[in-house]
Amino acid sequence: MKHNPLCKPWEHRLSRRQWLGGAAGAAAGTFGLGNITTSAFAVDLKKKYKQVLFIWLDGGISQLESWDPKPNTEFGGPFRTIATSVPGVHFSELLPHTAQQMQHLAVVRSLCTQDDAHSSGVERIQRGDPKNRGVVYPYFSAAVTKLLGPNDSGLPPSAWIKPMSGGFIYKDAGFLGPKYGSLAFGDGKPPENLLQHSSVSNQDLLERSQLRTLADKRYSQTHRDGATEANSFVYDMGLELMKRQDMFDMSKSSPRDVERYGTHDLGRHLLLARRMLEAGVTFVKVNSYGWDTHGDNFNGSLSLVRKFDQPFAAIIEDLSAAGMLDNVLVIAMSEFGRTPRVNGHLGRDHWPEAWSLVMAGCGVKRGIVVGSTNDNGSYVNSEPYDIGHMFHTWFNALGIDSQKTEYNNNSQPLPIAHEGCHPVKELLA
Amino acid sequence: MSASRRTTSSAGLTHLLGVGFWLALAAGFTSVAFADELPARIDALIATAAKDAPLGATCDEATFVRRVYLDLAGRIPSWREATAFLDSKEANKRQQLIDTLLASSDYPRRMQDLFHAMLMERRGDNPEWTKFLQASFEANKPWDQLVREILDPDPSNEAIRGAAFFHTKRLDKVGQQETDYPGLTRDVGRLFLGMDLQCAQCHNHLFIESYKQVDFQGLYTVYQNTFIRNDLKFPAIGEKVLTKKADFSSVFDKVSLTTGPRVPGGKEIEIPSFDKNEEYLVPPDKKTNFPGAPRFRAMQFIATELPTAGNKAFADNIANRLWFVMMGRGLVNPLDQQHATNRPSHPELLDLLSQEIVAQKFDMKWMLRQLVLTQTYQRTAVLPAGTAPPKPETYRIANEKRLSAEQLMNSVQVATGSRDKPREADAEKLRVAFVKAFGNVPQDPEVEFSPSLKSSLFVLNDPAVLDCLAPQPGNLADRLLKISDSAVLADELYLSVLTRKPTDEERTAVTEYLAKNLERRPAAIANLSWALLASTEFCLNH
Repeated sequence: MKHNPLCKPWEHRLSRRQWLGGAAGAAAGTFGLGNITTSAFAVDLKKKYKQVLFIWLDGGISQLESWDPKPNTEFGGPFRTIATSVPGVHFSELLPHTAQQMQHLAVVRSLCTQDDAHSSGVERIQRGDPKNRGVVYPYFSAAVTKLLGPNDSGLPPSAWIKPMSGGFIYKDAGFLGPKYGSLAFGDGKPPENLLQHSSVSNQDLLERSQLRTLADKRYSQTHRDGATEANSFVYDMGLELMKRQDMFDMSKSSPRDVERYGTHDLGRHLLLARRMLEAGVTFVKVNSYGWDTHGDNFNGSLSLVRKFDQPFAAIIEDLSAAGMLDNVLVIAMSEFGRTPRVNGHLGRDHWPEAWSLVMAGCGVKRGIVVGSTNDNGSYVNSEPYDIGHMFHTWFNALGIDSQKTEYNNNSQPLPIAHEGCHPVKELLA
Repeated sequence: MSASRRTTSSAGLTHLLGVGFWLALAAGFTSVAFADELPARIDALIATAAKDAPLGATCDEATFVRRVYLDLAGRIPSWREATAFLDSKEANKRQQLIDTLLASSDYPRRMQDLFHAMLMERRGDNPEWTKFLQASFEANKPWDQLVREILDPDPSNEAIRGAAFFHTKRLDKVGQQETDYPGLTRDVGRLFLGMDLQCAQCHNHLFIESYKQVDFQGLYTVYQNTFIRNDLKFPAIGEKVLTKKADFSSVFDKVSLTTGPRVPGGKEIEIPSFDKNEEYLVPPDKKTNFPGAPRFRAMQFIATELPTAGNKAFADNIANRLWFVMMGRGLVNPLDQQHATNRPSHPELLDLLSQEIVAQKFDMKWMLRQLVLTQTYQRTAVLPAGTAPPKPETYRIANEKRLSAEQLMNSVQVATGSRDKPREADAEKLRVAFVKAFGNVPQDPEVEFSPSLKSSLFVLNDPAVLDCLAPQPGNLADRLLKISDSAVLADELYLSVLTRKPTDEERTAVTEYLAKNLERRPAAIANLSWALLASTEFCLNH
């Protein structure tokens, strides 16, 4: 960097990775395993869908052990800081891989939100904490799929990759209604009945679909619209997902991906998330649980933050290398941060007063840190941002004017983000 | 016929409408014998509201037989049953079929499925609850009695004790969430009074003048005092001794208020005070875990006061819900938004239905029969050519209705000829699979047609559906394989699955498709059958 001020170190790394990425894709392709990945890259580059990757670290990642370290202060804890790829920006040493991707990231260190309980906080944050108008607001996932509208991938617009059980999660959609809910892939597994039945050949499947479409077309000529559309929509989506079932087969991951993402839950789930984004799913949410480190926060963070660090850095790197980061908004956050004060169990408790999140990609400035906290990290000493500010910012990053766009809930106009907040201009590219 | 005779009604509607006017209207109706009977009065009110807009024609025989089987028997007719009806030359064969179906064993089963989905909203099943519903509909139990048994379940009566499942399932702890007493309170209002009082938990409803916070709190006082009994093996609910009124205040003005148990819109009951040791009729017993039977039980009070002929919201709710079941849309819509600012589409009609069901002592079978006899029910669902589609709330054409998971399961079996094959355990497994695929998520009322990815993947790939397409002696696939004439095959296929003859265009399409696939005829026949099972036409009652 010193000897060539025009060329930045990460650009070397990036181009090498790009080459690696391409080579790995091609190699997989020859075995017939990587078709989705490579072809989908091409599709996406062409069509420029806007997409979102939303990583939810449930329970509350400690900002002090991640994005806003305060080493050598009364509440700083035992970990050191490390330099990132952006001069002057430091992360906790628990984020060595992510630190090398800082040139893509925007870190917000000045979050100050309202709720310090999980049960209400998770919902309030993911609904953008709107004013109470007697309606249940949609989660960010439902809001985005509603506001961006369908793309032509033919896939479910909203996927939720999470540990444990899957299913069709409609409640998150609030007043937008169940169709804006998420298809949840429990432990990254495909939905039930995705595999083609042995009695049905490919030709049968095709002909069945054609015959059903024909029948629905005839019926719709003399009956109300809507029903046949809905029916066709879910059959087309089912068939599309069947075509892409390789996506769920982790045994077909390249050794390079396995190494870089890791074999733990979050690693596998982020790798699946990448495949889904490549395939064209509009909103992919990935949940990781167990971040509520009331006891033994430091050993807990040592394990948790590292598990996050490796695959998060990998997916940022991959999305960037594939040129997808221009269209994919990435957000990683929790429902709140953790107390600077360390409790009697060497843990940190809930702290909505001053915490951090990280974002990257579509419409977001790269390589910046916004906001700051005081010396011991207990309070925000720049303009504090509530979740409402973040919703405004994210919507605008996706090209949606959050101050002009409204929902229409049975003719009741409703703002899409808290009207007391505004987009954070500094964050927007 | 005696059951259908109109009883005295205080509506005085005959005076409101010109008698001559609707007699003239009724004259064109063949299915209604007497103009002063309820079906004709219903049709007159629908026609009056439609003003000059044209009403749809009576649906054809094939559509009628399918529609009425689905509504009253919970399944499509078999091709034999359909043929028998279509071939019949009887003048009043529609009415005969209605009465046959209402007397059949399919009818209570259909009601059981219908009310299970309506009251439990896919929260889960319980054999005691099933038994309660089954016995209730086999006996055509009046709605007020059925609700009374739900609201104050009697654990000592084996036939009806399962009614407690309505409460116990809602009081089940889910994960870390607190026991959902407000949810139970809300559902009592929604399902039995058509009133969603959710917003009135914390303040008087902002937009709905008639929903007061005290309406919610008066019921909540009762239900927050209940618990699931753990001393019994079947679902049972207990009550703690209630000693004082509930305190509450609006989140807006924080003024302290109190209420005792109270039915929404009704009078508060004074909570009696007893001497110590006198508060129990039967005291708790630690040995058996018996929680005690309080002398004053608020649930008993609610069960006496809520499901009554004098409670207009209660009568309106069931009238509206039965109308919804048959006509595809509530006169009050949504069903749980019964209040002054959400007027029924046909206010006089709801009043009439409500008064009639009260007069008939909440006889639901009687009411359904009246509805099915109307011209309104028997209209075509085909859109009129050249004009905008009529709004659903005009009932000018029949509204298409979503088939429930149970109706779909039964109909797939009837269509493919595999009905009555599975043993009981397999049948239950099949039902669970269909409900999982086609039911809404728990607590989401099943009102509109809402196919989903899980339902499409189920029909595409699940053996529960695909196995029905494999030839078995006498089933659809087997019968079709034996028909060499493709046009005849098309007729049999369409009659079996869609309960109608194919159009010429459809017959030609089948013939051509089979001709192209001579060497793979069994697969082609399965594909044709599958496509009709997966079609929108099959998934709706139209």
